[in-house]
Amino acid sequence: MSRRDRVARTLQIARWEVSRSADTLDRTTVVVFLVALLAAGTVVATGAVGDGVAPDRDIYRVGVAPDSAYRAPVEDATPLRPVAADPGLVASGRAEVVVADGEVAVADSAKGRAALAAFRSAVREHNLALMGAEANRSAAFPVAVDLRYVSRDAGALAGTGAGSGTTTGGDETDESDGAADEGGDEGDEGGGALAVPDLGAGTAGLFGGSTSGGSPAEISPPFPFASLVLAFAFLVPMNFVVQAYGSTMLEERIGRRGELLLVSPATPGEIVAGKTLPYLGAMVGLVVAVAALVGGGALSVAAVFPIAITFLGATFATAMFARSFKELTFVTVSVSVFLTAYAFVPAIFTNVTPVALISPLTVVVRDLQGGSVSVAEYLFSTGPAYLVGTSLFVLGVGIYREEDLFTQRSVPLKLLDALAARIAGRRSAATLAVLSIPFVLLAELLALALLFALPREAALPVLFVAVAGVEEVAKSLHVYAGLHEGPLGDDRTTRGALVLGGLAGLGFFVGEKLFVVIQAVGLTAVPLGEATAATAGVLPVGVLLVAPLALHVVTASVSALGAVRGPRGYAVGLAAAVTLHAGYNLAVVTSLG
Amino acid sequence: MIGVENLRKEYGDFAAVEGSTFSVDPGEIFGVVGPNGAGKTTTLKMCAGLVEPSGGSATVAGHDVADPEMRRSLGFLPEESPLYEEMTPRSYLRFFADLYDVPREVGDERAGAALDRLSLDIRDRRLGDMSKGMKRKVAIARSLVNDPDVLVYDEPASGLDPLTTDAVLEFTRELADDGRTVLFSAHNLYHVESVCDRVVIMNEGEIIARGTVPEIRAEHGETTYRVHTTVPVDGAVEAGDRYLVEAENMDGVETVRAAATAAGGEVVDIRTEEPSLEDVFLSLAGRAKGQERTGDALRRGPQ
Repeated sequence: MSRRDRVARTLQIARWEVSRSADTLDRTTVVVFLVALLAAGTVVATGAVGDGVAPDRDIYRVGVAPDSAYRAPVEDATPLRPVAADPGLVASGRAEVVVADGEVAVADSAKGRAALAAFRSAVREHNLALMGAEANRSAAFPVAVDLRYVSRDAGALAGTGAGSGTTTGGDETDESDGAADEGGDEGDEGGGALAVPDLGAGTAGLFGGSTSGGSPAEISPPFPFASLVLAFAFLVPMNFVVQAYGSTMLEERIGRRGELLLVSPATPGEIVAGKTLPYLGAMVGLVVAVAALVGGGALSVAAVFPIAITFLGATFATAMFARSFKELTFVTVSVSVFLTAYAFVPAIFTNVTPVALISPLTVVVRDLQGGSVSVAEYLFSTGPAYLVGTSLFVLGVGIYREEDLFTQRSVPLKLLDALAARIAGRRSAATLAVLSIPFVLLAELLALALLFALPREAALPVLFVAVAGVEEVAKSLHVYAGLHEGPLGDDRTTRGALVLGGLAGLGFFVGEKLFVVIQAVGLTAVPLGEATAATAGVLPVGVLLVAPLALHVVTASVSALGAVRGPRGYAVGLAAAVTLHAGYNLAVVTSLG
Repeated sequence: MIGVENLRKEYGDFAAVEGSTFSVDPGEIFGVVGPNGAGKTTTLKMCAGLVEPSGGSATVAGHDVADPEMRRSLGFLPEESPLYEEMTPRSYLRFFADLYDVPREVGDERAGAALDRLSLDIRDRRLGDMSKGMKRKVAIARSLVNDPDVLVYDEPASGLDPLTTDAVLEFTRELADDGRTVLFSAHNLYHVESVCDRVVIMNEGEIIARGTVPEIRAEHGETTYRVHTTVPVDGAVEAGDRYLVEAENMDGVETVRAAATAAGGEVVDIRTEEPSLEDVFLSLAGRAKGQERTGDALRRGPQ
């Protein structure tokens, strides 16, 4: 059978899936959906084209005379609303700030102080805009500051800003009106659109002094709110598409409907590809539409595409494992929340640290901010998602057969079946360990992202155990599946366990070296990333290569020895392996200082 | 056309099929019979390439069952008719014809001919709105869109009304007369006796008898003698104004005759009765299990 035949058959199934699915929707549902989509699109487009969503509009009242030089800044600032320049308004609570007769009256309240900060910020931005409009740039900005961010001692918690890149700013101390002279120089805020108000430390960060650096636990991050919200818009429609996709895949299993396709000339791979294509196409279409609405470019689409692959892959695997629509919904929602968190949380720190690149959504945020992304950064950011999505499809297709498709086994047992289906012999212990690396990477980076906000002292011990747990499961679960659900039953001996454990450890070690890409994009620049990389065995070439190999072989063998004795034995063996591994992690990090 | 050699299927420690061997000639209807759990469906699914054998081999139309090309020569009808209920018979049959690379006109003609023969006129109603019998007819038409040489039909008349059952069985016979090979499974032995040329009887994964129905009857069944007397004798039951005794052989008949004479009566009628396939099966299954006939696993006659 030629490749052309296979492609043709896949497309036949895709067309059938589209027409069949269309038949399941009544016109009312379609109209309601389209109206909702149109409304959502209008809201997003309005937000993107206009000033965006502004929950802080007109929240502070500032008294300023119509002929005052401050009138324009107040009118231009979203949170400020100009009122009459009557000092009595402050006392009566009808204004937070009043500028009159060269004096600034401020309400003695938290809101008053916040209003003053917002007023100062508005004046500063107004002045910057005026200077920016000057034809004589040298006169407007007599001093040019070239900022270069460098790596700093991980132990230093304060001082220079974090991140990388250069920017130019200007001397902004010339606030001749005297009303806003309490600020300092603000050269560290030179991020343009990135420099939105400090969310965590009141107004101090805006007016100088409280700049920050290091991990987000220790800083007040410049939060790319607008770009992040728009980037999130890419994820929302995916959640709807995967629900429809999960249903259609599970329907093949309900009442054995998919049985007749299995006896047709179409292979399981063609069936799955054909049924998936329409939903992938829908996702791409939605992503392109959202990109057009929010002002994203091809980079945004290219970054979101692997997220779509991962969403679909996870949903497909879930539909293969679930026994009912109830179970499908539960697992799909869990997976959606997990993936959304993975994509969204790191992107919050887009402007803080390169570690944010672990999420493809960070690439989107950068694109929306007008920034650029190198090929290496793109691959680092999207590679795990591509690999995990593809691996989930491969795993699911392995059990897309009569014997597995229509049996009612629990989700964990189905997972074991899926792993066992990919085991052909002892060598598979090593092969599957290599293929587990994308999942390990994703899980560890997610753990890293989630623990990111904790103080380092609290995060590191948890991270050690989490990393050890993830890796030991990755090295041993398929071995257990092969021993008890697959063709490795004859290896349920001590010798067999040692052989399988050794192969799994070796395979994992080899695959782990691919992790080196992390160093290439500077993940290790942040303390937790460094810790993760170190515990994962990514050490300078030639240094301690043997130690991680020995670790993986030994711990995988311990798990395998437990696995041959059944579920309880496996649990004990796995716990021992995790303990050993976590101890190793601690020793490595301690020795590295 | 179908060759099965020492075919086995194991699920863990459970052997669903143990070393089945048989062959089916072109144009033949070959029955696989047995109670629920005997291994019939598993055997058929292995022959259809749906279930991977644990051991042995099976070929269909010259192809190993693992060869995807085999499916082009095969028409499979599962025990249930799991159709896509939002589709119509027309769109459903067209889709499968497309999958087999059958030109649209040819596919329509084949499907139409099958549906006409099965007296199903409705082509554009949603399958979900159709009766079980109608769906079954559509499923049978689907099995024919690729003009297969081999048909594997698992319980084709299961759950159908008597009229539809007769139509389906008659149609199956016609398909074989056209030269197609049919592997046919049923636990209703009346269906098997009425259409199958040869059968194997399976029980607990093993073939326990094989041959034509008369051969099996001759080899494994026993003729019984129904002796009617005018007076009661040992073992007799009332049958109208007479008494009936069953004897296994002529010696038994003579014993009854002597007893009737001694009681002042006489033998008025002696009839022989050939065993049905069901009787043979029950006898074999009971022997295999070492237990009494239960009869609840099998039913006789149309449902």
